Amino acid sequence: MNDKVFVQKSMIQIEDLSVSFGSTDAVKNVSLEIAKGEILGMVGESGSGKSVTALTLMGLTAESAKITSGRVCFDGVTLAEAGKPRDRALYREYQGSRMSMVFQEPMTSLNPTQKVGSQVEEMLKLHTTLDRNERRDRVAESFAAVGLKDPKLLLDQYPHQLSGGMRQRVMIAMAVILHPDLIVADEPTTALDVTIQNQIISLLREINRRENNAMLFITHDLNLARRLCHRIAVMKDGRVVECAGTEEIFGAPKEEYTRSLIRAVPSRVNAVPGGRKEAQSRGAVYGADGAGADGRQPVLEVHDLHVYYPESAKGFPGRKQRKCVVSGADFVLYPGEVLGLVGESGCGKSSLSKAILGMNREIKGTVKHHSTRPQMVFQDPYSSLNPSKTVGWLLMEPLRAAGALDKNLLMSGQEMEERAREMLARVGLDERYMSRRPSQLSGGQRQRVSIGQALITRPGLVIADEPVSALDVTLQAQILDLMRRLQREMQAAYLFISHDINVVYCMSDRIMVMKDGKIIEQGETEEVFANPKEEYTKALLKESYTG
Amino acid sequence: MRYLVKKLFTLIMTLFVVSVAAFLAFQIIPGDVVDSILGTEATPEREEQLREELGLNDPPTVRYVNWMTDVLHGDLGKSYRYSKSMNEMMPVAELIGDKLPVTLWLSFLSILIIVVISIPLGVFWAKSRSHVLDAVMSVLTQFSMAVPSFFLGILVTYFFGMVLRWFIPGSYVSYEKDFAGFIGYLIFPAISVAIPKIAMTARFLRNSMLTEMSADYVLTARSKGCTERRVMYGHVLRNALMPVVTFLGMIIAEIVAGSIVVEQVFALPGVGRLLISSISTRDFPVVEILVLYITSVVIVVYVLVDLLYRLIDPRISHK
Repeated sequence: MNDKVFVQKSMIQIEDLSVSFGSTDAVKNVSLEIAKGEILGMVGESGSGKSVTALTLMGLTAESAKITSGRVCFDGVTLAEAGKPRDRALYREYQGSRMSMVFQEPMTSLNPTQKVGSQVEEMLKLHTTLDRNERRDRVAESFAAVGLKDPKLLLDQYPHQLSGGMRQRVMIAMAVILHPDLIVADEPTTALDVTIQNQIISLLREINRRENNAMLFITHDLNLARRLCHRIAVMKDGRVVECAGTEEIFGAPKEEYTRSLIRAVPSRVNAVPGGRKEAQSRGAVYGADGAGADGRQPVLEVHDLHVYYPESAKGFPGRKQRKCVVSGADFVLYPGEVLGLVGESGCGKSSLSKAILGMNREIKGTVKHHSTRPQMVFQDPYSSLNPSKTVGWLLMEPLRAAGALDKNLLMSGQEMEERAREMLARVGLDERYMSRRPSQLSGGQRQRVSIGQALITRPGLVIADEPVSALDVTLQAQILDLMRRLQREMQAAYLFISHDINVVYCMSDRIMVMKDGKIIEQGETEEVFANPKEEYTKALLKESYTG
Repeated sequence: MRYLVKKLFTLIMTLFVVSVAAFLAFQIIPGDVVDSILGTEATPEREEQLREELGLNDPPTVRYVNWMTDVLHGDLGKSYRYSKSMNEMMPVAELIGDKLPVTLWLSFLSILIIVVISIPLGVFWAKSRSHVLDAVMSVLTQFSMAVPSFFLGILVTYFFGMVLRWFIPGSYVSYEKDFAGFIGYLIFPAISVAIPKIAMTARFLRNSMLTEMSADYVLTARSKGCTERRVMYGHVLRNALMPVVTFLGMIIAEIVAGSIVVEQVFALPGVGRLLISSISTRDFPVVEILVLYITSVVIVVYVLVDLLYRLIDPRISHK
């Protein structure tokens, strides 16, 4: 097993690696090196082969994956090579003890039926000879080292009792407990809020400094990579298109693709021209106090709105308890205006939007609509479209619903089809898509269909709840662009909800910042960004600042 | 605790409803116990006398209340049909008490065989991912599910009794006389009961395991350097068991409630045979008690399944 020792410069050497699944090549001739103490960022859209590269390195690819060329070396030992079956026993000597991995989804990457303590302890059970008490002490120590409070108490908790951020810390504790030489982090912060994201990034950086190990950080978010990594490899269609030091990549990107990735990042510095700027001047027409300066009627008025959720009553069954999730929301939305709502998950953004649409009736206060049939665009394009219907059917559905409610809007099948075709063209899909089903579309195409669905009845108001959060950066830019264009063309008002303050900045005329169910700050976009009044807003801005 | 009280309440309510339903059914179905006891030759006077003796002339509500009161006081009533001696009818408690252990042991053995065989088989099946095994197993599953259980019983009798000569068909030994011999004989009917269920349970577990194996935490376990065996038994199995436990619960209830056909084939003096004969002779007290017994068993099994669920999945009890 040690016959392939050669002069070694790096901890990890991936040489000319190609991996294929059946006839499709997921990774093509990738060569990478990671030195001790170095953090290499791997950036690319989903499907660009970054995860497959990482899983091959870790020896975790599915059975159907075949290495067709090249090899993977770890500390001078060849772990995998083209033409040789995977040596599981050899890999097991490295997995966990010398190389470990942090996954994207903290919600699902821990075993739901085991206590988190035992899951981390399993690492020690597998690779050390410590006894049970020593192991538990070590686990508690490592929990403390990744910034988890009450580590002793945590040992006996189950994953569902922890928040997403805490679970990711548990995953990291598991990954570092044996002080491995390599940590692979596959999108470790994508599923987390901005503030938590920052904490996790700092934690990874600190671990890298303390342990001086090699780290492979995979992300689709260039900004994150820039903040953490020493070097960055940009991947596209299974190939590394560019690999250089971080500052070099950002300062003087050589490849067109890299440049387009950098451009696509929603950022306050290279704000997209047109769109928002134009709306800005229009926004100024409306007074900040809410009354339309030109006497125009708002499409939506929300006054002192409280939203509640019934809680499971612990006392008598008859007595209802409810939890206040939104308190005292107060705002107006004018025709053709985009109002951004920003806040972390759990702050009450979605509850507010549901209350506005009448999907939650446990409310106090007033919601006045001056438009008919407001529509909604949801976050997850994978689950918000009925998989058994065609795109054409889905697009016509709001028309049918409108016709059923109001005789005046009743349309013949042909008229509806005409409208659906027109909408399809507007969202940038050609006619062939009419008869496709959602499963045959990509995430971005699905979100286009969702947007088409929302706008086909020409509603005055569209509520978009995190419409781009599930998408890649480049797709994000396209979808935001589309939404802006359609908003101008169709003169709709948007309530645009996102946790990403940069995305909100690109889209909105005015901004509201929400925290713990309260709207703590609202005002003109430029105003809020230039002079944030609240500490929380300042913190949000600082954390997401991308330069 | 509150949970148990709630379940107990459901049990009582269900038993009440079922007992009423069984009672009503006996009012509606044609056929008279007096006819079936005395035969068609009896004189009207004799029939009337018997009716009076059995209390059949009272209105149905009174009869139900009387019967229920007796049952609640621990008196399960007397069979209309079986007599203990010349002038005393057989108490139902005695009649059933004699046969219940046979059925319960048969059920217990079948369930044991199902669990012990189907779980490792399901895990192995999921793990192997061999197409040969897939093909073999699906033929076996089809076969064992499609073949009627009496025929399966006959096959088992033939194979183990006549070919291998591991037991002598029809040589049932009472558990009171020779317990080892009793179990030794019971194994074979238990196998007949278990075979189709093993196939179903193993298939179910295999599908559930395959679903779980694509879950993220499995990758986490592999990344720790777990052996394949550890991944399977330490991580996947427990999560995959949850739907299987529900399925097993249904199967167990079904088995305990009646392995009627198998009891016939193997000439076992179990509750199943008693139930059939009692229905055909309109032996109401016996049928009613048996129905209540089956109902309670089913409910108790479901409660146990529910408790097991909480044990396996921590998320349920914390909600």
